Amino acid sequence: MKKTIIQGIITFLIFFGTWFALTQIDWVKVFKVQQVTDKTEQKLGELFWEVFKKTEKESQNPLVINSVDSIVTVICKTNKIDREKIKIHILNKDDINAFALPNGHLVVYSGLILNSDNQEELTGVICHEIAHIELNHMMKKLVKEIGLSALISMTTGNGGGEVIKETAKTLSSSAFDRSLEKEADIKAVDYLVKAKVNPESFANFLYKLSDKEHEATKYLTWISTHPDSKERAEYIIEYSKGKLTEYKPILTNKTWDNLKEELKE
Amino acid sequence: MIHIKNFSYEPGEHEAETASSSYLMSLIAIIVGLPLPIVNLIATLIFYLGNRKSTYFVRWHCTQALLSQLSMLFINSFGFWWTVSIIFTEETITSKYIAYIITVIIFNLTEFIATIYTAIQTRKGIHVEWWFYGSLTNLICKSKS
Repeated sequence: MKKTIIQGIITFLIFFGTWFALTQIDWVKVFKVQQVTDKTEQKLGELFWEVFKKTEKESQNPLVINSVDSIVTVICKTNKIDREKIKIHILNKDDINAFALPNGHLVVYSGLILNSDNQEELTGVICHEIAHIELNHMMKKLVKEIGLSALISMTTGNGGGEVIKETAKTLSSSAFDRSLEKEADIKAVDYLVKAKVNPESFANFLYKLSDKEHEATKYLTWISTHPDSKERAEYIIEYSKGKLTEYKPILTNKTWDNLKEELKE
Repeated sequence: MIHIKNFSYEPGEHEAETASSSYLMSLIAIIVGLPLPIVNLIATLIFYLGNRKSTYFVRWHCTQALLSQLSMLFINSFGFWWTVSIIFTEETITSKYIAYIITVIIFNLTEFIATIYTAIQTRKGIHVEWWFYGSLTNLICKSKS
């Protein structure tokens, strides 16, 4: 009896030992799994961005582009994110919306900039979207909603334009899982603190938009795709308590004012 | 890992053939039911139930074959459902997963080779006891006399 138990335990240990030993090797790299996934993501990003590029007007205003670029660059630098990875696009549209597409495409609507009371609010939303990019949420969502095989067939050209259009729409106008949103919020606070931007403004932005009386309600795409703003604002405040207290603006106040003026015109 | 031992009595020609078949059963079922890990277990189980009242030598080897299949079932099912969840859910391929699959292949291959070897030996009437499974079978399967 004792011998059987010992032998059983040894067999058990050999199994898990082998598994553990093999885990030490980076198989994903060996089998180039990442490369295939990366290529798919790259292609998808291009496909989806094409859809928006065709239907919306991209802002060519150098002040707008440079200002948003400065914000993103500072966040990337202070958080050691590869700046090259994030491709910013600003669309001239009144909707208060910003969203991320696969392969690091970050789309910001001019309506969002116009409706931010200060640059910290805008920075907060940008950080939230960068967090989605860094945490690879788009691919997770896409795989969950339409399946990996459909995604790969899209990139090989069998998907058809309609499917791509529909999926692009989904990405820009529907929410992630609540858990993914929370993950991105928390990460965004981390980014903000490291970039010395007050995370409270980000929470304020959510509070403000959750207020139904707000004048901009009809354009509130970002908030309708990101439900429970009040709750989110609360845990952002809670999480950022006791973090850094010394803040400094990324853009000068003059640049920020000019930016808003420019967009109003 | 595999020990040749003297059985309590010399098995007859017919007994050796049936005992050997219990191992062959799982081999054939592996070919049929490769994607579904449960088929080979069912095949061995049916064979075991059919020979429950057979002679000690036959019963002993049916039990050993069944026990080994049973533990493979757990290992393989886990790998099977892990694969399914990667294909159909947001689960992604990780090094941990690939390492598991390789481990599963190693263990299945070892079991496969051991099964072939044991099937040949038992056919000749030689009693083969596996590491762990042999002593486990000794605990479960008792001579009636």
